[in-house]
Formats: sequence, C-alpha cells, structure tokens
Amino acid sequence: MSLVSDPKGYWADLTRPEQGVLAFVLGFALLLLLGLLTGGIGPSYFLFLVGLAGMYSLLSFGLNVQWGYSGLINFSVAAFFGIGAYGTALASASSSPLAGGIPPVVGLFVALVLAGVLALLIGIPTLRLRADYLAIASIGLAEVVRIIILNEGWLTNGSAGVRGIPGFFEGWPVLETFPETMPGVIITALPGPTIVLGTNFWQALLNVALVLTLVGICYLVLRRVHRSPWGRVLRTIRSDEDAARALGKNTYSYKMQAFVLGSLIMALAGVFYAHLNLYVGPGDLNPITTFYVWVAVILGGSGSNRGALFGGFVIVAIQQGTRFLNEFGWIPVDVAPLRLLLIGVIIVLLMRFRPQGVLPPQRELIWRGVVDDAPSQPERGVRGSKAGESDD
Amino acid sequence: MVLDLLANGLIYSSIIVLGSIGLSLVYSIAGFANFAHGDTMTVGAYSALVTFGAVGGLGGAILGLPFGFFVALAVGIAMAAVVAVVTEKVVYEGLDVGSIGLLITSIGIAFVYRAVIQMGFSSDFTRYDIQALRPIEALLPYGIRVTEHDVAIFVSAVVLVTGLHVLLQYTDLGRKMRAMADNPDLARVSGIRTDRVKLWTWVIGAGLAGAGGVFLGLYGRLAPRMGFDLLLVIFAAVILGGIGSVYGAMLGGVLIGMINQLTPLLSGVGALLPIVPDGWGIGLEYANALAFLIMVVVLLFRPNGIAGDGEGT
Amino acid sequence: MTEPQPDSESESAGDPTSAATAGAATQTASPASPRSGADRSKEDVVLEAHDLVKAFGALVATDHASFQVERGTITGLIGPNGAGKSTLFNLVSGFYEPDSGHVEVNGTDVTDLEPYEIADHGLIRTFQTPRKLEGMTVREAMLVGPQRQPGESFVKLFTAPDEVREHEARNLADVERILGEFEIDHLATQPATKISGGQMKLVELARAMLAEPDILLLDEPAAGVNPTLRKKLAEQIRRLHDQGTTFLLIEHDMEFVMSLADPVIVLDRGSVLMEGTPDEVQTDDRVIDAYLGG
Repeated sequence: MSLVSDPKGYWADLTRPEQGVLAFVLGFALLLLLGLLTGGIGPSYFLFLVGLAGMYSLLSFGLNVQWGYSGLINFSVAAFFGIGAYGTALASASSSPLAGGIPPVVGLFVALVLAGVLALLIGIPTLRLRADYLAIASIGLAEVVRIIILNEGWLTNGSAGVRGIPGFFEGWPVLETFPETMPGVIITALPGPTIVLGTNFWQALLNVALVLTLVGICYLVLRRVHRSPWGRVLRTIRSDEDAARALGKNTYSYKMQAFVLGSLIMALAGVFYAHLNLYVGPGDLNPITTFYVWVAVILGGSGSNRGALFGGFVIVAIQQGTRFLNEFGWIPVDVAPLRLLLIGVIIVLLMRFRPQGVLPPQRELIWRGVVDDAPSQPERGVRGSKAGESDD
Repeated sequence: MVLDLLANGLIYSSIIVLGSIGLSLVYSIAGFANFAHGDTMTVGAYSALVTFGAVGGLGGAILGLPFGFFVALAVGIAMAAVVAVVTEKVVYEGLDVGSIGLLITSIGIAFVYRAVIQMGFSSDFTRYDIQALRPIEALLPYGIRVTEHDVAIFVSAVVLVTGLHVLLQYTDLGRKMRAMADNPDLARVSGIRTDRVKLWTWVIGAGLAGAGGVFLGLYGRLAPRMGFDLLLVIFAAVILGGIGSVYGAMLGGVLIGMINQLTPLLSGVGALLPIVPDGWGIGLEYANALAFLIMVVVLLFRPNGIAGDGEGT
Repeated sequence: MTEPQPDSESESAGDPTSAATAGAATQTASPASPRSGADRSKEDVVLEAHDLVKAFGALVATDHASFQVERGTITGLIGPNGAGKSTLFNLVSGFYEPDSGHVEVNGTDVTDLEPYEIADHGLIRTFQTPRKLEGMTVREAMLVGPQRQPGESFVKLFTAPDEVREHEARNLADVERILGEFEIDHLATQPATKISGGQMKLVELARAMLAEPDILLLDEPAAGVNPTLRKKLAEQIRRLHDQGTTFLLIEHDMEFVMSLADPVIVLDRGSVLMEGTPDEVQTDDRVIDAYLGG
C-alpha cells in the first residue's frame, strides 16, 4: 500500500507503535512549522537543529548495528565520533599539525580509514569477551583514545584543538559559493517579524542537505543488510551466539564486521560535525556523547533503523528542550545537570517499562521480494516482550 | 623519589581498594557490573562535606583530622549505603532484564546521582574545610612526603578492610555472602535468605565506596565527577584482581593504585628501550590510560584475573 | 583403525591406551560380562573421540574417554549426573579444547578447530537449554540453519542481490517444507518467543537438519518437554534416522533413549564404562552400580 495512492490503507497496515510514532512526528513537525511561520523559531536555527538531529541519527545508526543488531555493548561511541572528526580535520584544516589543505572529500576518506583501523584495534581484543567485559573494555579504550588526543600535541594540537576546518563543499564548483551567490530572500507575507533568508540560511540549508544525504544513504544500506541473511546471523548472535556457532557461523568474524560497519557510520557523523562546526577539540570526545547515543538507540528501539532515526531526533529535542526551559527560568538550575538527570531518568524508565524501545522492528526481516510485507502480528509486532540479553 | 612514590601509591591504593571491594562484592552477589559505583563514592564524599560543614570540628583531632571529620565520615558511609539500598529496592529489584539490562540501568542511576549532586553543589571543585598539613617531618629525610591526613587515610582503610575480612571469615553473614558469591543457586536451595544477603551486600559495598569517596575528597578535591572519573580505574582493579574474588579485588586495587602513582618512573623509559628516542616517556597524564591498557591486556590473556573464579569468557 | 574382531565388543589389540583406560580401573570384576570401554572396531565411523582428557582445575571432567559413532546409527550417551556427558559434547563439537586426545569427524582431525569449522565438516549440535530468540518468527529463526548462504556475505548483498534473493526463496521453501514434515508449519510466522519449550526443541531439531549434518548431536532433547511432544520428538528423530541421518544423543530419560538408540554408550566419571544394546546396558551390573553409587 503506497502512502500516496491509498493513505487510509497504508495507515491500517501499520502497527500500533508505528502509528504512534508517525502521529507524534507529524504533530511535532506541525508545531515546528507553526513556530517558523510565526517567527518564533529562526529558519537558520531550525535548520541547525535538523542538522544536529541528522548527526545524532547517524551515530544512532552506527550503534544500532553494533548493539541493536548484534548485541555488542560498545561504550566507545564518542571515540569513533572523535576519530571521524579529527581525521578529516587533520587532513583539511589550515591549523593541522600533520597536513592541512587537503580537500574535505579526501578528509572523509581518511577519517573512515582511521575509524576502520581503530575499530580493528578495539575490536580484536574485546569482541571475544563476554558482553559486560566488552562494555568495560570499550569505555576504557575510548578513554585511552581521548587521552592520547588530548596530550599528543604534535599529532592533534592537544587541548587547543584544530581550527580552520573548511566547509565540506570547499573546492566544489557551484556549491562552494552557493551561500553567497544565492540572493537574500525577504518574506513579509506572514504574521510575526520579517524573515530574512540570507547567507547563513543558505549555508545551513547546504549543511542540512549534506547530512540528510548521508542519513539517506546509510538508511538505504542498513535497510538492505538488516533484512538479509547477514543481518539474521547477527541477530542470532545477539540472542544465542552458541547456537550460531554450532550451525557453522564464524561469529567472531560477523561481530567484527558489525563493529567496523557501525564505527564507520559513527565516524561519518564526526566528519559532518567537523565541517559544520569548523573546529574540533578533545572535548568533542566527551563520554557523555556515548550515552546520549545509547539513549537514542534504546529509546528509539534497539535493532530498528527507523527507531534509531527517531531516537536521534528525540535526543536533540531533549537537549534543546532543556536549554529552552533554562532560558525561560522556569527551573532554577543549570542546564547541564538537568539534562544529565533527564537522561538518567529516561534510561531507568525505559529499562523498567519498555526496554525494547518505542519502535523495535515491527516486521519479519526476510529479503525483499521473498515474502510479502504484511506484519505477522499486527498488534504487537514481531518483537517479544523484552529486549536485552538473558542472564548467562 | 621511589620511596615517595611508593608511599603515595599506598595512600592512593587505599582509596581504590575501598572502591574495588565494593564493586566486586556487588558484581559477585547482585550479579552485574554496577556502573553507578563511582557515583556512590561521590555521594559519600558530598554527604561528608555537608555534615562536616554543619557539625564543625567538635574540638580535638586525630592525625590532623578533627573529630567532626570522623562524624562526617560515618555519615558519608551511611548515606552511601542508604542511597544504594533505596536504589536496589526501588529500581533494580523490580527489573527483569538480565545482567546486561541492569548494567545499562546502573548507568542511568549513575547519571541521576551525579546530576542531583551537581544541582546541589555546582560543578566546581571544592574541598573540606580542613587545614592542609605539611608533610611529616620524620619522613622527609627518606624523601617521603606524606601528611598526617594521608596516614589517616591509610590507617582507616586498613581498619575497614580488616573489618570486612573479619566479617567475611568469622560471621554468619560473611559465610552466607561467600556462599552466594561462589554458587548462587546452591546458596538459594540451601536455605540462605538471598535477598537479605543481597541487601547487606549493598550496604557494605556502598558503605565502603562512600568511605573511599570521603577519602578521595580529602586526598584530592571534591567535584561531582570525581567518582565516575575513578570508576574505570576501579574496574581495572577488579578485573586485574579477578572478578568474583573480594581478596582479588583488594590485591588488584593495591596493584593498580601503585602502578598509577609509579607512572612518573616511566617518564624516562625511552632511554631504556632500544629503538625509542631517549626523550620519550610515559608521562603522568597517561597514568589512567596505563591502568586501562593493563585491564584490556588482562581481559585478553587471563580474563579470570589473578584470583578470579573461572568465569572468563 | 584395526581389523574387525569376531567379538564386536573387544578392543583393538594394538591400541595401548584402551586397555589401561576406559573403566578398567573402575569396573567391578565380573568374569562373564563383556570387556569394558567403548566399541572401537566399527566400520564407517563418522565421529571418533580418542582418549580425551579435560580438567577444570582439580576436577577431571573427562578422563581418557574414547568412543566411535557409526554412520547411520542413533547412538545413545548416558551416565549418572556428573559423568561428564555435556563436557564430552563440548569437547567433540569444539566448544571446549581438550587437554589431550583428539577428535575425528569423517576421518579428519578436528581437535583444534572452532565450532563453526567443525560444523562445516558435518557435525552439528544442539544445546540443552536454548536461549530465547527475540525479535524473530519461527521461520526467520530457521532460516539461519542452512550453511553457506550467499546472503551471509556482506559484499554479496550489494554485488549479487539476485543470487541472494534466489537462495533466500529456496531456503524459505525448505524451511516451510521441513516445518510441514515436523507438523509444526502452523508455527511458521509465530514469534519464536511465543512457542512452548517443547515446540522450541522441535524447531531446533528442524533447524539443525537444515544444516544438512552428517552427524547430529542432541543434548538432552527431551528435557522439560511434555509427554505428547516427547513422543513427537522421538518420532521425528526416528524418521530422520530412517532417511539417513546419524545421531548421537544425550538423555536422562531412560525410556526415551532406550526406545530410540542402539548402541548405547555409558559414561561414568569422565570415561566410557561400557557400550552395548539397550538391553545389555540396562542389565549390566556395573552400569547399575554407577547410577546407584554416584
């Protein structure tokens, strides 16, 4: 049932959680649109938020491959994000101690290679360990990476960070100057103050287009691999690794593949961030990022790509929402601890009431074209009642 | 210089051991890796801060620490234990998500502890209102710079650890705790009230952590992040000593603490190694990184640690 | 390995290890009873364990155990609690590494191989307590069974999608066929977490068959299964055996084992006590002693 040709039928075909999420997203989008039209939210700021949500969605995609598909507890998300950012920064930035001036597209490639190498370095010792050891080891190794980046100034400029990172489209024929060449647009027809769409706006639009392209590509790739025999082996590893081994699957190799794939996607988010922020520093490897992404994945629905996407948007909503509250002085505390509290409470509530998240995989994951796509359990979806591993 | 480093290693180890024992106990008996353990230490430290501020010196002092401080210490221990028990009752007990789910939940709890403290106290550093002391004169000729406060930390830790040892070996509760740690199913069917024992484990484990937190604040400074920052080092100690063994955790704590403080000795290691340039060395900044690397190496080659119970992979 | 002896229970004369091991020390002397230890003179051996030893600290779980499984049989493996049956399974399927001794599947030494490699050589095993398979229907879970699926290669998902689709469709047809043969096709689209323990055992068996094993090791397949399903399980094993699959079966339920298996190997305290037909085993004094003595 296509959304366009038969919206009613499409709606009826969705499971309850899907309907809930769709309704929520539409409602939220409407709210934002209202804010835009009435001038409550500046267009550039709005685009900035979308860009941020896209970045978190990429991080969530990556972690979802590792934890959601395969059950790998990876607490080194921040390290891969940082490696991605630093990789491209050190290649392309003017203040890079190592290189500099290399086109950002090559920087992207460098970042991915570095992330892949780091994934192997972290994965080789840890992927043979049982789940909780992997958690501890990954957080330790992430710290080692952060400490190295912080202290080896000859490599990374240490605590000063890397400035002068060019925009991603530097050197591209049309897009490099797109923000400047686009005419300013003035909108007076709406209620609220006059909206001026100038260079900032076009720059933000370009960035959003970039991240949405990245998100789109990753989503398509992940959707294919999730529905495949490859994905199925990973999901079996998550529930019952020994059974997979007994059936002839080299589970170590599969786990490594999932780990590397996830890490590459996380690094992609870092690359986007570097060319958005135009500066990276050791603070960008703050472990709190790791836990934001964990909340996004668990909240969205472990194992589901759409869930990860949703989770990314929710995280940005939480971050901005708490800042909002602070600005309005409703709550007499700082933003940072409030956010921390909120994240902590959400984790606990999720694990207590809905460990599988809002939108876990709703349908069977069999290769496209082999079975028809109707959900097998319209009310509950295929997901059992709880996620997370059983006791070993 | 080496003696000085060793002495400071002992002091730092005392703090780590107080943390690692608690973590190991909870791991063995409650059955999961408690990522909120570091922040439990922070709870102890800040409870002591508040108490000491309220109670004051109370006249008199031992080893340069006013009596009021020891009252604050007791409160710190108690508060940490109370908070842990409440968390167990309200949160962990009702969860049916397996040990990984509990691990993830404990991260949420860690954030809650830290956030509440940060909201109450701001994220800046602070100290106990105790006058800093000068190093003990008698030890200076040996190149050892420790203050009476440091000695107090060491002595207190020894007292607490000895107390725990006595509890584990010579009391009924201790016997039950050891039974549960070795074989939970067998313990349950042999009539041990496992939920009671678990509760006491939380009390003891968190209490020790609270004490560690108070001393950490005394040794260094207080900040809402202090516990979490130390958590990884404590995990390294537990893993090195062997998960499932309390005595292993003690040993691991001592080793990791010593290695951490002895890191400056490695700053000249470049001169010793053949290919590496002479100026190269492992600086103090890498002290923690060293602990983590040791931890990973242990997990790779001897996951049971030094004294563990065979539950490696 | 040796020339066949007229007495099928005797061991090879030239094998130095067998006489000294495998229960000789533990048997109560009974002049009329057959020689102790396993039958090591079989032809067409699909699985062979030579003198396996495995110790966990001070506990010797497997103490010079040797046996053979002949192709086309349902061989039973029984023994009192703590005899080391599961340990032996783990050793033979690569989940544990033996301290000494070796294992051969279809004549190839597989002792140091990983479980997945041993599976590749034709040995598939199930587990006593299967874990819950979350987020999958029964047929999705079964689709993991077939070996060497092109879709299991990440690269092929993008370079050869048609091949992947073809194999997936074919495998799905196999899954549905085998579920039909097991008479549980109505469970195909049920979430795997929603079926009963007994049904899960049937699914596990069916899934293992999709891997086309030369020998299938079943670790207590009837444990915790209600009598009706247990009968069904036995029927299925018998049916699959008639179609040519070799089985090695650990079970505590004597009725289950004795009705299905022949020969039956008896394990006691880590080594093979004896091997014989169900009747021989059930009436043997040493076996009775082993179970009662404990």
